[in-house]
Amino acid sequence: MKLVGIVGTNSSESTNRRLLQYMKQHYSEQAEIEICEIDEIPVFNEPEDKTAPQAVQVLSDKIAASDGVIFATPEYDHSIPAVLKNAIEWLSYTTRPLINKPVMIIGASLGALGTSRAQAHLRQILEAPELKALIMPNVEYLLGRALEAFDDDGNMVYKDKAKELDNDFIEFLSFVKLTEKLTANSKFFEISKQFSWKQVANGEDM
Amino acid sequence: MKFIGIVGTNAKKSYNRMLLQFMQKHFANKAEIEILELKDVPMFNESKDQSDSPIIQEFNQKIAASDGVIIATPEHNHSIPAALKSIIEWLSFNLHPLDGKAVMIVGASYNIQGSSRAQLHLRQILDAPGVNASVMPGSEFLLGKAQDAFDDKGNLKAQRTIDFLDSCFAKFMKFSDIIAQMNIPEDITYEPGTFKVTAVGHNGDLPMEVTLSDDRIEKIDIDTSSETQGIADVAFKRIPQQIIDGQTLNVDVVSGASITSRGVVDGVAKAVKMAGANPDILKKRKKSNGPNKQNVVEYQTDVVVVGAGGAGLTAAARTIQQGKKAIVLEKFPAIGGNTVRAGGPMNAADPEWQNKFEEITGERHTLKEISEIDEKTIDAEYLADFKALKKQINEYLKENEDQKAYLFDSKLLHRIQTYLGGKRTDLKGNKIYGQYDLVKELTDHALESVKWLEDIGVKFDKSQVTMPVGALWRRGHKPLGSQGFAFIEALKKYLESNDGQIITDTAAKELIIEDGQVKGIIARSSDGKKIIVHAKAVVLASGGFGANTKMLKKYNTYWSNIDDNIKTTNSPAITGDGIRLGQSAGAELVGMGFSQMMPVSDPETGELFSGLQVPPQNFVMVNQKGKRFVNEYGSRDELTKAAIDNGSLFYLIADDAIKETAYNTSQAQIDKQVEQGTLYRDDTLEGLAKQVGMDPATFVKTINDYNSYVDVGEDPEFHKSAFDLKVEKAPFYATPRKPAVHHTMGGLKIDTDAHVINQDEKIIPGLYAAGEVAGGIHAGNRLGGNSLSDIFTFGRIAANNALKDME
Repeated sequence: MKLVGIVGTNSSESTNRRLLQYMKQHYSEQAEIEICEIDEIPVFNEPEDKTAPQAVQVLSDKIAASDGVIFATPEYDHSIPAVLKNAIEWLSYTTRPLINKPVMIIGASLGALGTSRAQAHLRQILEAPELKALIMPNVEYLLGRALEAFDDDGNMVYKDKAKELDNDFIEFLSFVKLTEKLTANSKFFEISKQFSWKQVANGEDM
Repeated sequence: MKFIGIVGTNAKKSYNRMLLQFMQKHFANKAEIEILELKDVPMFNESKDQSDSPIIQEFNQKIAASDGVIIATPEHNHSIPAALKSIIEWLSFNLHPLDGKAVMIVGASYNIQGSSRAQLHLRQILDAPGVNASVMPGSEFLLGKAQDAFDDKGNLKAQRTIDFLDSCFAKFMKFSDIIAQMNIPEDITYEPGTFKVTAVGHNGDLPMEVTLSDDRIEKIDIDTSSETQGIADVAFKRIPQQIIDGQTLNVDVVSGASITSRGVVDGVAKAVKMAGANPDILKKRKKSNGPNKQNVVEYQTDVVVVGAGGAGLTAAARTIQQGKKAIVLEKFPAIGGNTVRAGGPMNAADPEWQNKFEEITGERHTLKEISEIDEKTIDAEYLADFKALKKQINEYLKENEDQKAYLFDSKLLHRIQTYLGGKRTDLKGNKIYGQYDLVKELTDHALESVKWLEDIGVKFDKSQVTMPVGALWRRGHKPLGSQGFAFIEALKKYLESNDGQIITDTAAKELIIEDGQVKGIIARSSDGKKIIVHAKAVVLASGGFGANTKMLKKYNTYWSNIDDNIKTTNSPAITGDGIRLGQSAGAELVGMGFSQMMPVSDPETGELFSGLQVPPQNFVMVNQKGKRFVNEYGSRDELTKAAIDNGSLFYLIADDAIKETAYNTSQAQIDKQVEQGTLYRDDTLEGLAKQVGMDPATFVKTINDYNSYVDVGEDPEFHKSAFDLKVEKAPFYATPRKPAVHHTMGGLKIDTDAHVINQDEKIIPGLYAAGEVAGGIHAGNRLGGNSLSDIFTFGRIAANNALKDME
């Protein structure tokens, strides 16, 4: 199985990046996880030609070719970082590779709460009609006090959190398989690809 | 009012931009809205700090200087656009301009939703501790189907939408006013020195040294040599930096190092305590807004005014009226000084108006008493005026011998009452009374001040003549609107719409004096900037020193004792700054030993308008034993002395009818205070006495006696000179009161042109003073309602002469 892991920040020091690296290594037998960065993506500004810039196209192709996506998000001011929102806006405005794509949301924070509020926002965002990702329900993986969570070899120190992630990841793998059946012949797919708020408002389609 | 509008997207075409542009135009006569764009804002990146870049600094400084922020957000993918989130992240990282700032959210979208979900996300985001904005609750303005909402000129088409936007905006104007009041910090002074405390490290306590000057935290040194490397290092570096930059203990703890972060804060708090100050004041302050890069800012103007209270704003407004430039420096973030705390009525004899009202019981008696004063006791300067007044009074009494008369007044009565009211002898036997020429200037021009204020935009309630506590006569002109704030609001509006400049958070520190001529002010802003204002004249209008207990105790010659923990009705900003500045230029001081206590203050807060504060003719004051102890219509210091002799704490008694005459309260407020136990209420007098701990029989007798005096219009016990209502209708109330520092009569010596006079009796060129900072007028005791007359009269005089002397 091929998965894409998106580091939800452009910071050079990131516990979310470390968390994804841990998963890549730890679950290498079950899946191939390719870690993608979003720091090179330019600032989204609703260009009229709706063409994806190079960095967006690269990310989009990787997502399109994958079986599922893992978002690892920090929490900035009770929500997801602007830079992650920026990447998502490009994807929703141009290529829309997330439609019907299985998604797992995880997050790591330095404090105790482990990005609970950012994850709730991300769920709502990914459910927007231009995105329509299939977010795995019932699973909320929050890694608090993440700075002390890994040892020098990148292994997770908190045994309970490591076990919880094992369970969640297995569940995600079966979720990916389940959604294959669900979306095999979805008519919705093409319509969603064309969706735009402007069109809805003008009564042009849908 | 000045607001910043943020267009929540960087897109070329935006209905949210159109909405803000419409608001800018539509509300132009109510507030100035400056629109900021996100186009050039870089993507937030915590590893590449660009807080100092011009664009982020522009947002930072403009938001910090504004009265509030309006954010117009589109909805992208059920949330706010990344571009908007990015600027918020920049403004919550090393900079915190939104902390405590009033924010209004609006939004427009193509579909019917009108950005509903984005607005909810934005609320949550603005609520995050790093942002900590004060978002206006309710009034959710959602503009759905925005592409059909505007006409060709960019105006909203639907009247209903405009009406709703009007009501949201009106609410926001009020909301930002209230939020501004919440942000007023308390002043703090330290015993200067270096204090040794400890910080918390991973390996135990670390030695820390905190250096304090009289008003700043200057240095924090932590010895980390025994500490292992790690995230805590960041806390040991960043937290002290934030504390010093913002002069605050309200700092963001470093994530992952919260214990060490708090350890540093606690250590500094301990040092602050050791320096005799209260660290809670620093914890309530705003977060640091980053180090200030621009360290010196210079201004050039005609008149620079110290203090943005009533006197200062008046001097500035009068300067601008005559076509010159003025800058007002205010050390607090909010303007208004003590004036916003005033009850409202300002004394000015206006017989033409007052004569339309009937006299009330006792007033005739007061006049008779004045006319019967032995002329030998009148000081020579006032004798001619006193004789003339006596003639006026006798004619009035004769004219109305057998009939209900109108309310009498004259400039002479105002003058003589100001003189008599201020005549005092201190503990050392020094006699003092108001300097004749200054008292004449005040009473001759007070009514002009009322008229001038009307020109500026203050509206007065002509339907009643009021008398504040200790005024001795009904001649109060009360503004419509909220108490003293009505004056400040009008003056502020006038200055803002006429290019007057008010620089807040900036304390005047030094006078610039060249060849004996005062030529400006050197000041320091609360974020550490040095502000130099070059001017042709300096007007000191910074108030007295009622909130400076040390200074009060130093000069006091009148009260037998001033407690260390005495409360004050003053703004905490009123610490004698202008008096010290004047002294640095050699100014003479007059009457410094005389301060006034407000006898009827809240025992806990010093506040005036808690409980039931009624016109004095309705006051019934009883001591802790339930007995009356003073003529309630007496002057403030008669009441105070009597209160101190009776153990300070006493009660104002009211019945249901008297309650209706209370100032500045409502039934809801009254009920709340009763519930909190700061006001007592009972259906019977006996019950009330029991609640407060008096002997019921004594108390009931006191009230019955009082009621019988009201019936005959004569008080044989204490000779109360004016009555109105009896205490008879249940429920009954008792408001606890205690004297608190209210006014300092002493100050800089001035002449009738408001020039500050030096110790050689000469004018100090370029230096003027107006209001409570100056002495000589009110002498030993200021009449209630005379301070407002003073500030608006001498504020104008100071500006007039500053400009005249420039020519």
